[in-house]
Amino acid sequence: MADYDQRPRGGRGGGYNNRKRRYRDEEDYDRRPQRRRYEEPLPVKVRKQLLAIAESPLKPVEEEVGVIAKTVCDNYEDAELRNSFCELVVQLVVEQPFKTPFVAAVVLVVNTLKSEIAADVLARAAQKANEGIKRGEWREVKLLMKFLGGLQGLLEGDGIFSVLQDLLTKAVDLQTENNEETIGPELVKIILFTIPYIMASSATDVQEKANSLLENTDIIASEPHVLQSLVDPYPGNGTDEATAPNGVLSLLQKQLQNEATSGWELVCLPRPWKVLLESDQVDPLALAPKHTLPAIIIPEVVNTGPRALFPELYFSVYANQDIETVPSMANIASCLLRDALVDTINILDYNRNATSRFLIDIDCYFSPGTFVKRATPFDRLRDLAEGKSTWKPEDVAVDAVFSQLFQLPIPEHKLVYYHSLLTESCKLAPAAIAPSLGRAIRFLYRNVDSMDLELSYRLMDWFSHHLSNFGFTWKWTEWIDDVELPAVNPKKAFIEGALDKEIRLSFAQRIKNTLPEPYQQLIAKEKEKDTPDFKYDNDDTPFAQEGKEIWGLLRKKSPEDQIQPIIDRIHAQAIEMNLPDPLVASTDAYMTSICYVGSKSLSHVLSSIERCKERLLAVGAQSSEARKQIIDSVMGYWKDQPGVGVNIVDKLLNYTILSPNSVIEWALAKEGTRLSLPYVYEMVSATIGKVTGRVRQVVRAKNVPGQLPEVSLGMEQTVERERKSMKDLFQLMEEALVGWATGSKDQAMQSGDGSTSDEAMIRQWGERWLRVFRRKFAVEEAWFLETERVGVEESVAGVEVIDGVGVGNGNGNGAVDGNGSAEVEMVE
Amino acid sequence: MPAAIRNTVDRLDKPSAYYQSRTKKRKYDRDNEERERTPEEPAEDPLKDAATLYVGNLSFYTTEEQIHELFAKCGEIKRLIMGLDRFNKTPCGFCFVEYYTHQDALDCMKYIGGTKLDERIIRTDLDPGFQEGRQYGRGKSGGQVRDEYREEYDEGRGGLGRAIQAERLKEEEEYGKGR
Repeated sequence: MADYDQRPRGGRGGGYNNRKRRYRDEEDYDRRPQRRRYEEPLPVKVRKQLLAIAESPLKPVEEEVGVIAKTVCDNYEDAELRNSFCELVVQLVVEQPFKTPFVAAVVLVVNTLKSEIAADVLARAAQKANEGIKRGEWREVKLLMKFLGGLQGLLEGDGIFSVLQDLLTKAVDLQTENNEETIGPELVKIILFTIPYIMASSATDVQEKANSLLENTDIIASEPHVLQSLVDPYPGNGTDEATAPNGVLSLLQKQLQNEATSGWELVCLPRPWKVLLESDQVDPLALAPKHTLPAIIIPEVVNTGPRALFPELYFSVYANQDIETVPSMANIASCLLRDALVDTINILDYNRNATSRFLIDIDCYFSPGTFVKRATPFDRLRDLAEGKSTWKPEDVAVDAVFSQLFQLPIPEHKLVYYHSLLTESCKLAPAAIAPSLGRAIRFLYRNVDSMDLELSYRLMDWFSHHLSNFGFTWKWTEWIDDVELPAVNPKKAFIEGALDKEIRLSFAQRIKNTLPEPYQQLIAKEKEKDTPDFKYDNDDTPFAQEGKEIWGLLRKKSPEDQIQPIIDRIHAQAIEMNLPDPLVASTDAYMTSICYVGSKSLSHVLSSIERCKERLLAVGAQSSEARKQIIDSVMGYWKDQPGVGVNIVDKLLNYTILSPNSVIEWALAKEGTRLSLPYVYEMVSATIGKVTGRVRQVVRAKNVPGQLPEVSLGMEQTVERERKSMKDLFQLMEEALVGWATGSKDQAMQSGDGSTSDEAMIRQWGERWLRVFRRKFAVEEAWFLETERVGVEESVAGVEVIDGVGVGNGNGNGAVDGNGSAEVEMVE
Repeated sequence: MPAAIRNTVDRLDKPSAYYQSRTKKRKYDRDNEERERTPEEPAEDPLKDAATLYVGNLSFYTTEEQIHELFAKCGEIKRLIMGLDRFNKTPCGFCFVEYYTHQDALDCMKYIGGTKLDERIIRTDLDPGFQEGRQYGRGKSGGQVRDEYREEYDEGRGGLGRAIQAERLKEEEEYGKGR
């Protein structure tokens, strides 16, 4: 406050007076000296050079490698420089994987000049690898192995192969014991992704070792994992498009075998170390001292690590185009590029701008000629000379982001991270990225029917969010024919859902203006109203008089005892009218009035719910019909802006006015068409997310070591109770959904025989829902088993429990997947 | 900043330079007063567990629902407080979003700060927590200070800066009188 008040007041004057600062961006508050007054210290300079290695397409990277290596070695006695260099090398390879081959090249050159420094780097890398193995940080282990693989040429004897062999032995042991476990395949993945980097290194005489290792990985890598179908993005849903999923491991195994037969060309991997061969007659790499690789130990018991592991499938939105814009799955480049990209994306979530830069600059980090020139339009690929690469760098990059956005069961980070990455890339290089996104969207939309339901929801959420960052412009004309499709058609449901989400981020009139004529009908006039009509204002509505009175009293914040007589009147009339459930009629009037009173904004409706909490709790406690009516009234009042309704239902759950069961019953019991409504899916998954989050919360609380026996007994009972209600809830869903999927519910409800296309469609929706929620249940069960297993092992070993072992720790994934810690209010 | 290990790439989930310069300044003032009494003592970072964000550069017309829709992508929202004009009690272009967890707030800094809401690039900053009174604009005319002397016309934030508008109005009136 103070620094604003101190500024001179008055009209605008010229010049740079102090007041001007108020118009500057925040960056300017951080004042930097205008001119550098001293030469940068050497460690800082080298740090900058190493950090920026290979980033500029203008600087030959071989030169950079030489300069850095020489500076470090020339100043060998500068301990600070040596130390910071070695430290940065191992940090860089685990934080910026694209640079690994170049960093390895620097170390190779360093070894020819001052081999002690290379020994230091090896020691640190091995130590970091050992730490990573202990913690189950398998990605970090993989990245260090790739780096060490690049240094195979300076290692004595078997070098890195002995570590890979140990990993394989461990993996085989694990898989023999239980083929459902997922650490074994993860270890094999490390082996398979390390091999290419060894083969592209300066090492000679490694082919035989690689070939024999590859023979032995085959048994694990080629066998599709039992959990693979659980995470299949395109199950087909009764359409013809079902494609056999491609496990990354088996794909990679096959690709490596192909490379083995063709002499390990590995065309896309850069080999910056070759600079040394050209400069001299004698090979300095061969003359340089060799080092023994410090021990890297695989312990008896291995850890899953911070994230639950699931089989990985190769996902691409650019497969099957008439011209290859990304490497085909037969080519090893597909896996190598994807692996480096996905690691970069997931490691650098803390700076999406830097990550987008990496995505755009991907061609700097692989062999020249791997890609076609940036931003080459798709149509121009045809004109390229025979034998030239047609891989578009932006397609390869965008494809990797989509692989994460559509990762099942959940990606490493919140979905919105991947949204922001695409937004940022699109801002950085619109001419390159936007057309690629367009082709991706078309592919995804075309296959939306055969896609996993959760993924089609993610697609809709991303699509609308993305458009909101770019003025809501999309070529809607392409899909005009689909506007006429019935509401239960997945494509139509996608269009309607996307438009609803766009409106939620903006407003109806604005979105309407972006749409071609045929779409206009999809945005009803009522959607443009800020305050929906109050149905009791219409005298034809039953209990119109009472509804209006209740509203009047609520608006004046009258005490509850004044409302009771009116509720009683509704009950009396309802009995006279032979209505089955008088409480339902009065609840409708009460809840609808609350919505109307609070229609101005979310905080308004929250404060009116807060005031009416007692009665709502009492009503909700009376019958499941009353609870369902509460939801009905909310969703009825907000029928044209269902997002608001979903939000209110969410808050009612927090207040425990509604139970999770009532939401499921409301959504799944009655109308099959509800299954096609994206906001119903949204409501149900948010509800399930709350319940599963709550279970995880109590399980974690139980596993905190050092609790008093009576406390931990109580905790155990809570866990048991919560797990039971979670299971019951999933069971409830299972029954309802099986009913829809088999058509038995359809027949009971509408005496249909499943012959009309709508009914057939509803059966498919039932199946799609089933898949999603069976998976969610399986994931929760797996998480629980793993957490308990680790809990037991760790308490035996006397090690502190690692917080949040398992899937989705801190990975709320937005509104839909819910959030574990959001249940604070429910607990009370 | 007492960062444990510096990452090789800057992090977006740090408090802004604006926040830091303000705390630095306050600390400096305080240090001048009581330099003798308080020797170097590592101050508790008020943002260590912050689950609240200040959100700036909103349009005056952006609604709670729109904010909710976007910010819920980073986790369930515990509380949303709209920034209001001190006098009119109408939205004046900022708000506070409170999550249940610190991690959600950090994620919001990383993934939502600097993206668009209602077609404006919004700004997020970690905040030590909402206190009553902070929902009101601190500008002379009731809105945010930055809207007082803004020379650029911003339709979403009431046109020109309010002080400038007032000045122009006065000039016009005087001109009328003079004639």
